[in-house]
Amino acid sequence: MALQIRNLHKHFGGQPALERIELDVGGAEFVCLLGPSGCGKTTLLRIIAGLMAADGGSVSLHGRDLARMPARERGFGIVFQSYSLFPHMTVAQNVGYGLRIRGESAAAIDKRVAALLDMVKLPAFGARFPGQLSGGQQQRVAIARALAVNPSLLLLDEPLSALDARVRADLRGELREVQRSLGIPTLMVTHDQEEAMSMADTIVCMNHGRIEQQGAPQELYLRPRTRFVADFMGHSNLLPPALARQWVPALPPLPAGLAEAEALLCVRPERIRLGAASEAVGQVTDISFLGSIQRVRLRWNEHDLLAETSSAVPLQPGQSVFLAVGAADCSWVRA
Amino acid sequence: MTPSLPLHVADRWLLRACLWLPLAGLLLFFGLPMLAIAWRSLVQDGASGGIGLGNYAALWDTPGVWRALGNSLLLGGATTVVTLLLAFVVAFGIERTCMPGRRFTAIGMSLPVLAPSLVLGLGLIFLLGRNGVVGKALGVRPEIYGFWGLLIADVLYALPQAVLILRTALRHGDARQYDAAEVLGATPWRQFVDITLPGVRYGVLSAGFVVFTLTITDFGNAVVIGGNFQVLATEIYNQVSGQMKFGMGAVIGIVLLVPAALSVAIEHLAAQRQAGLGAESAQPPVPKPRPARDGAFFAASLLIVGAIYAVVLTVVVASFIRLWPYRLDLTLKHYDIQIAGGYAPLWTSILVSLIAAVVGTLLLFLLAFGVQRLPGRTANAARLLSALPVAVPGLVLGLAYVFTFNSAAMPWGLLYGSAVLLAMCNYYHHHTQGFVSMMTGMRTVPVALEDATTVLGGGVARVLADVYWPALRTTLLAIAVFLFMRSMVTLSAVIFLITPSLTLSAVTVMRLDEAGFTSQAAAFSTCIMAVVGAMALLLHLLTRRPVPAAH
Repeated sequence: MALQIRNLHKHFGGQPALERIELDVGGAEFVCLLGPSGCGKTTLLRIIAGLMAADGGSVSLHGRDLARMPARERGFGIVFQSYSLFPHMTVAQNVGYGLRIRGESAAAIDKRVAALLDMVKLPAFGARFPGQLSGGQQQRVAIARALAVNPSLLLLDEPLSALDARVRADLRGELREVQRSLGIPTLMVTHDQEEAMSMADTIVCMNHGRIEQQGAPQELYLRPRTRFVADFMGHSNLLPPALARQWVPALPPLPAGLAEAEALLCVRPERIRLGAASEAVGQVTDISFLGSIQRVRLRWNEHDLLAETSSAVPLQPGQSVFLAVGAADCSWVRA
Repeated sequence: MTPSLPLHVADRWLLRACLWLPLAGLLLFFGLPMLAIAWRSLVQDGASGGIGLGNYAALWDTPGVWRALGNSLLLGGATTVVTLLLAFVVAFGIERTCMPGRRFTAIGMSLPVLAPSLVLGLGLIFLLGRNGVVGKALGVRPEIYGFWGLLIADVLYALPQAVLILRTALRHGDARQYDAAEVLGATPWRQFVDITLPGVRYGVLSAGFVVFTLTITDFGNAVVIGGNFQVLATEIYNQVSGQMKFGMGAVIGIVLLVPAALSVAIEHLAAQRQAGLGAESAQPPVPKPRPARDGAFFAASLLIVGAIYAVVLTVVVASFIRLWPYRLDLTLKHYDIQIAGGYAPLWTSILVSLIAAVVGTLLLFLLAFGVQRLPGRTANAARLLSALPVAVPGLVLGLAYVFTFNSAAMPWGLLYGSAVLLAMCNYYHHHTQGFVSMMTGMRTVPVALEDATTVLGGGVARVLADVYWPALRTTLLAIAVFLFMRSMVTLSAVIFLITPSLTLSAVTVMRLDEAGFTSQAAAFSTCIMAVVGAMALLLHLLTRRPVPAAH
C-alpha cells in the first residue's frame, strides 16, 4: 500500500470532524472521497497534504510516518476547485513552479513543461496568462503543475466542480487517463456520486466525519451497507423486512449484527421489472419522462415505490402492473 | 489546544516573527503609553506628590476645565447637528439625484483631508477675520474668533468624513424596494420617509459620533480660531505646555478618551447593524432625473462645497498676496520663510511621513499575515489591541508618548526627540484604519493558491513573494499613501513630542500663525497641501481603489 491511514481523528472546537479513519491507497489506485458537504472529506485531504494537523492517528506513505514532515517536503501534487494558478505568471511559469523551487536547470524545466502541456492538450498555451484561459483550460494547467514534480501522491480537491457539465465530463476521462498512464496513487474529494463512480477504483463514502463504507463503485451501488450510502449513491427503494419478504420470498438472511428492527431492504429502481397484468397488485401513479429512461412512481401494498424502465416500455398512469425483483439485486442496509 | 502543524524550522520562526514583531511594536508604542498616561493621572501634581486620585479631585477645583468641558460639549453638539444636516444634503445629492457637478462636489469633499485641520481656520480668518476680505468689502471688522468661527471651521473639517459615511449608507439601498413602493402608489416623499431614512439610520448615527469625536478632539482649529473660547483640547495643552501640570493633563486626556471610545464602540455596533440590512443581491437605486429636486440639491451642494473650496483656495491665494487684503499684488516673498526653522520642518515632515508609511505598512502587513496564519490566543490579543488606537485622540496619544519616552531611565527613552518616535506616533495613531484595510485586502488573497504553493514545496518566504505580494500590491500602496498623508497633516498627536531642533510642518503653521505671520503660515500650508495632493494624485493614477477613511 502506498498510503496508509490508521485511526485518524480530528476535532474542531469540541465537534468531531473526523473519527476513526482507516484508509489504504494502493500503488496506482484512484480513490474518491465521496460525501455531502461537511462530512470531513476535505479535512481528511488537508491532513494528508500536511496543511492541517490531526489530533491523533497515523498517516504513512510507503511505510514512512508523515506526522513530523512539513507539507512542503512531502512532494505531493494538489489541484483545487479553482483560483489556484498564479495570476501574474504565464502558463509555462505556473507549470514549472515546483521545479524551480527544487532548483532544476532552466533547460530541464522547459523540456518537462513542454511535455506536460502536451499531455494536458495545451501545447501552444505556454506563453499565455491564466486570465486568458477558460475554466477547463486553467484546471488542465493546474493538473500539469501538480504532475510536474513527479508527485508521490496526487491530491484533487473537487477539481471539476466549478466547470460546465460538458467540460467536466471531458476532463473526467482525461484526468483518469493521465493518472492511469503515470500510475500515481490519487485521492480525489468530490460530492458528485456520478463523478466518483465513473472515475474511481475505490470509493470511500463518508458521513459525519466517519467512513460509512468503502469499496469498488459497483459494490457501493449494489451492496450498500447503510441507508446513508444507499441514498447517497443514487435512488433506492427501502422496505421494512416483513414487507420485503412478502415481495421477494428467497431473500438472503440478515447479515450478522443487524437486528430485524433496524434493517431495511434496498432495491435500486432499475432492478425492478415491470409488466402489464390484469390482476397485478401494483399501480402506476406517476411517470416522469427523462429521455432514454422513464421514472415510474408506483403504489404497492400501501407503499410508494420507484422504478426505472426504458422509455420504450408503454406505461400509463393508473395502469396495473406486476413488479418483480431478483434476490440477487437486493441488499440489506442499516436504517 | 490545537495540535501544531508540522513545519520547517525556518518557516515556524518566520511565522512567529510575523506575529510577534508587530505585536511587540503595538505593545511598546501603544499599550505602554496608554498604561503610562493612566498611571501618570494618578501621580499627583504639586509639592505633595504621591499616588492617588488627587488630580481627579483637583479637577473639581479647576473652573477652567469645567468651562472647557462645557464649551467642548456645546461645540461638539452644535457641530454634529449642523454637519449631519449639510452632509446629508451633499451625500443625497451625490448618490440619489441627477444633479450636475457631482464629481466636482466629490473632489471638493476630499480637499480638507489634504491639509492640516487648522488650514480651514486660517482660511476663515482670511475671509471673515478682522482683516478679512468680507469685512473690508462691507466696511466692518467682524469678530470671527470664538464659538462661531470654530463652529464653521469644524463643520467644514468634519463634513467630508460625514459625507463619506452617509454616501456608503445611501449606496446600500435596494432599487426593488422603491419599485415596489412606486407600484403600490407611494409618493416620492413617502418613499423617502419609509425607505430611505430607515435605511440610513445607522449611517447617520455612526456619522454623528464620528463628527462629535472629531470636533471635541481637534486641536488645530481650536488654537487658530478659538480665541478665548477654551475647549478641552486647548485646555489640556495649556495645563501641560503652559502650567506644566502633567498629572492634570493626563486626567483631561482620560476625560477626552471617554467620548471617543464611546463613539468608536457605537460606530462599531452601527456598522454591524448596517451590514445586516439589505439583501445579498440588492441592486443599488439609480436616480431618475427630476429637474426641481436636482436643481435644489445642486444649489445647496454648490453653496456647501463652494464654502470648502473658497476657504481652502483663499489660503493658497493669500499666500501669494503682498498684504492681505490691502495690497493685492502677487508676490512670492511669503515663501521666503526664515523664521521658525524655515523649510526644515517640511523636510522633517516628509521624512517622518515616509518612515511612518514604510514601517507602518510593513508592520501592518506582517501583523495581518501573522494573525491569519497563526490563529490562537496571541493572534486574538493582537486583533483586540489593533482595534483600540482609533479610540484614542491624537492629543492623548501624544501626551502618553511624553510620559513613556521622556525618561532617561528606560531604554526606549533613547527614542525621545527622534524622527523615528514622531513617525511611530503618527503610525500608531492611525493603526486601526490601516489594520482594517489590510485585513480587508487579505480577503482577496486566494487561499487555494497559498495551499498549492505549500504542497508544491514553497515555504513561507515563497508564499509571501508569489501569493501575497501580487495580490496585495495595490492595498499596500493605498495604506502607505494613507499613512503618509495623515502623518503630513496631523498636528494634535505630535504637538507634545516636537523639540526646538525637531519640529513638523503642521506645528510650524501653528507657530507662524501664533506669531502673527499669517501669510507665511498660508504659504507653508500651501506647501503641505502640494506635497499631500501630489501623493493623493499619484495614488489615484497608480490605482483606483479608495483610500481608507481617515478618522
